[in-house]
Amino acid sequence: MTRSRLARRRVLTAALGTGVLALGGPALAACTTGASAPPGPDPLEPVAARAEEDAVLADAVAAAHPDLAPWATALAADRRQHATALRAELRRVRPTPPNTTSPTAAAPVDVRADDLGAARTSLVDAVHSAQEQAAAPVGGAPGHRAALLASIVACCASHEAVLP
Amino acid sequence: MTTAAPDAVTVAALQTALATEHAAVWCYGLVTAFVPGDLATQVAEAALAHRARRDATERVLADAGVTPVPAEPAYRTPWPVTDTASAVALTVTAESDTAEAWRSVIERAGGPQLRSSALTALVGAAVRAARWRQTGGAPLLTVPFPGAP
Repeated sequence: MTRSRLARRRVLTAALGTGVLALGGPALAACTTGASAPPGPDPLEPVAARAEEDAVLADAVAAAHPDLAPWATALAADRRQHATALRAELRRVRPTPPNTTSPTAAAPVDVRADDLGAARTSLVDAVHSAQEQAAAPVGGAPGHRAALLASIVACCASHEAVLP
Repeated sequence: MTTAAPDAVTVAALQTALATEHAAVWCYGLVTAFVPGDLATQVAEAALAHRARRDATERVLADAGVTPVPAEPAYRTPWPVTDTASAVALTVTAESDTAEAWRSVIERAGGPQLRSSALTALVGAAVRAARWRQTGGAPLLTVPFPGAP
């Protein structure tokens, strides 16, 4: 499964030689399920909450500023996917949270239509601090979590890079 | 290196990452011939980043007593590279391949040092992929999970 997927996706394959790339997908599962959840709040919780807040902010910016809309809309979509993946991981570890505070919807954000610069800055700040927040636990997290967080860091960095 | 010798899983992930870096270096060499002068800097910077990453990865493997995988003499591109558009599209593929390999290193390697270095590589690949999509006029510049298989 893993191997065929890698082989299919890694399209840039060696034309000659013994296909070293094909060795890259050992079928070892890195994901350890069933481990009991550690006490205290899950460190992914604030990362998920931030992703939800960023999505709301980016949608508000897109609505108020047509010039930023394509970029902000894409950011909102990506941050929403981050939140969904993080919530799924949170539920996997703790199917029934001890404090059943179901994730509250992120508060709506007012974005002034007459201040493009401020709107742009708010999005830059958001993706910038999202990178720092998601990068912090990468070193010590279980492999599958570290990979998820790393992709989120990379996604936010790529948004920052292509900001108009 | 001050860290313990990487285990077999980590070595395999690093070798795969090195193989994709070899491929990326080769790609940028090919692409140079097909892009206009105003993209030369973007190509050169990307090529430099991949050569540096290739060299660093070779050092990590060699320090662990492992023979780094060599570059292939040539690579098969997923489509013929004949003009700027096909060349720019190839850069996105090369960056996506390296992103996937470095994410896999993060997933399978334990040490924070190695993960930190792999994260830098993943971020660099994702950023370059987004910039190349922008250069190529793609409607969507980012992916939600760079490097995810």
